[in-house]
Amino acid sequence: MTNPKKLAVRIFSAIAVLLAVVALPALAEDNSSTYENSLRLGLYAVFYHSTADDLTGPYVPPASATSPGVNFKAEDVKTLYLAYVRRLSPHFETELALGLPPLTKTEGKGPATLGSVPYNGQVISTARWFAPTLLLNYKFRDESAQLRPFVGIGVNYTSFYDRNSTAAGNAASGGPTKVSLPSSVGPAATVGLSYRAAEHWNLYASYSITQVKTKLTANTAGVIRTSHISFGPQALVISAGYSF
Amino acid sequence: MNKFCFMIAAVATALVTACAGSSSPTSVTTASTARGTLSTNPPFRIASLSAPAFQAALSASASGSQLLQISGAPVCGVDFYYLKFWTVGGANEPTQSSGALMVPTGPAPTCSGARPIVEYAHGTNTDKTLNIADLTKSSNTEGALIAAMFAAQGYIVVAPNYAGYDISTLGYHPYLNAVQQSGEMIDILTAARTALPKTQTSSTSDNGKLFLTGYSQGGYVAMATQKAMQTAQQPVTAAAPMSGPYALEAFGDALFFGGVDLGATVFAPLLTTSYQHAYGNIYAATTDIYSATYAAGIDTLLPNTNSIDYIFANNLLPLTAAFNIMTPTVTLPPSLPNSAQLSALLTGLLAEPSNAKDPRTPLFDLGFGTPYLINNDYRVSYALDAATNVDGAIPNPGTGQSAPGLPLAATAPTQTFRLALYKNDLRNGGWTPASPTLLCGGMNDPTVFYPLNTSVIQGFWAALQPSLFAPGGLVQVLDVNAPTNGVASATDPYAQIEAAFQTTQANLFLQLTAPAPAGAGLTAAAAQQQLTQNYHAAVAPFCTLAARSFFTKILGG
Repeated sequence: MTNPKKLAVRIFSAIAVLLAVVALPALAEDNSSTYENSLRLGLYAVFYHSTADDLTGPYVPPASATSPGVNFKAEDVKTLYLAYVRRLSPHFETELALGLPPLTKTEGKGPATLGSVPYNGQVISTARWFAPTLLLNYKFRDESAQLRPFVGIGVNYTSFYDRNSTAAGNAASGGPTKVSLPSSVGPAATVGLSYRAAEHWNLYASYSITQVKTKLTANTAGVIRTSHISFGPQALVISAGYSF
Repeated sequence: MNKFCFMIAAVATALVTACAGSSSPTSVTTASTARGTLSTNPPFRIASLSAPAFQAALSASASGSQLLQISGAPVCGVDFYYLKFWTVGGANEPTQSSGALMVPTGPAPTCSGARPIVEYAHGTNTDKTLNIADLTKSSNTEGALIAAMFAAQGYIVVAPNYAGYDISTLGYHPYLNAVQQSGEMIDILTAARTALPKTQTSSTSDNGKLFLTGYSQGGYVAMATQKAMQTAQQPVTAAAPMSGPYALEAFGDALFFGGVDLGATVFAPLLTTSYQHAYGNIYAATTDIYSATYAAGIDTLLPNTNSIDYIFANNLLPLTAAFNIMTPTVTLPPSLPNSAQLSALLTGLLAEPSNAKDPRTPLFDLGFGTPYLINNDYRVSYALDAATNVDGAIPNPGTGQSAPGLPLAATAPTQTFRLALYKNDLRNGGWTPASPTLLCGGMNDPTVFYPLNTSVIQGFWAALQPSLFAPGGLVQVLDVNAPTNGVASATDPYAQIEAAFQTTQANLFLQLTAPAPAGAGLTAAAAQQQLTQNYHAAVAPFCTLAARSFFTKILGG
């Protein structure tokens, strides 16, 4: 049976992509007094809000009355924000947002020790993730306004790479561990404010939410453990944009 | 360039970069299936317990607390590694097997650096999922025993699960196959020595000293390994086989003559399946040996993922009735020499034991019933061979006299199952140990008869080389039931262990017979029956303690 929540996410993603694609030719206007392209650079502060099922697999102690299950959480990061924005019409623009892939640390969450190996609070793995987000933004107010609020919806693609289990992670897992995290596609939404500072220059502040779901598979010497993870990364972006 | 194309190209480039990103390495899986190859290196560590954590884990259960009383408190922590390695089955077919590498850890000086290896062979186990490295399963009592007794006291422990168990896809277990089982012990030792420097406990290394031990089936395997390594001129520091069925032919003869041991209905299918795979001539169909009630599927019954209780409850095996209670009236073909005389002899021999004076008669009587496991015809075919080509270790059925020198059967048996037992009998090859050896067991063992195995091997070796047993000789023999005054002496270094075993048994009897609620309120007979049923298992920790004491003394401790 299809999970209704999953279905909703898919429909939402599909609409976002459709809107972005359909809007491009339909909404594009030739207006020589405005700039069509903009590059933005800024700070990306990501709050992961990760939730994961307890790790399951061989030799993983199950949750009990005296001990929580084996779980983990992602530490929040700050990284460089990069985006390319194309103006489509006086009120619509499309944004491709990229962050410089941050090194995300995953901390053990659960029992203080696994056997006698420290677990809770230990950095057990690191990963970088490349997470482009394609957004269709609607900008309020007239193009000549200095302050323009905007809202946007779109789609996020997240790919994890440079996945490493740390020494502490290997000790807890039982040996050198290969971590697999398949890519995720999910909806994204943003609200923000742009401020025209000069002829070519704008300043932006935005707050965005994406939904990332993946399945963690840890392979330690052929012993496989898994967990489903949901991130709801919320990102605060402060950036400066150059339009041309 | 079109701006959109630029955008797509940028994304594409980023994606390619992302996909090409590497991830951290894991263990190397070796493609080689050569014997002794460690499949996954470094091996998986199931658990790492400090000495206090291990002690706490054992203390949490009644059986663990009892074990601690015998083994003493852990001095070292223990890292439990799960080894996967390549070996062969009973027909020399390659198979992957698995086992344990337990490595001592911790700050005490005896817990790291160069340490001796104890290689342990486990006893008969019907649980196909057995993984002796996994102490999270409470059924893994032997894993806990060897971890507490050896690893937590500074010995590196290596123990196979055996081919046919756990991940092995062999489909049967080469039970009491001397060549296969000793070979697998050597293979896991090779794999463990490969693994040790790669583990997360690499500060503990192998000092080259090797002690072999094991209990019951494993006692047999330990002795077979000692013999095989000695033949191959591989060093063995010392061995302590415990309660093993070493003299298989004599043990088999006694069984078929009616001396049915407790567990015979489990041992029989394990043995016939093992030897059928090895030699191919044990039966054409399982009905050649087994009654119609049990013959179907008996060749794949053990080991099983279902519990032995399930197997008995579903009547897949009888609990104790190895033989038909209606014993055969033997009529041999007149063409056989002394046909009539032999027929009468066998008819008498195969009658249900009814000697009221023999204290073992009630036990042996349990071996007869309906439904029964083994056909009368098959019993007669075995007994005919045993009665005409007599094993030197058991009294000649015709004369009642024991043969001098305690050899095996005078000539190779003709009955195929008896021939298989003969081939795997550890008297075979006329060898004596070249390294210190402790034989430990309990005289009253109803499962693996001490007189037929430990005493027979003792006698056999003494016949070949009496000096082995002289003071300062290589071989010591310990019967935990031996009369003792409880004081360790030069003549009996194990007096305290004997006393401890006997006191434990006596206390258990008192507890079983004491009125409820303090005791179990059993009658003396019922309490004795329970002690008898548990006797074979009860001896194990005491013999294992004796083995450790023996090894420690050899190390100069």
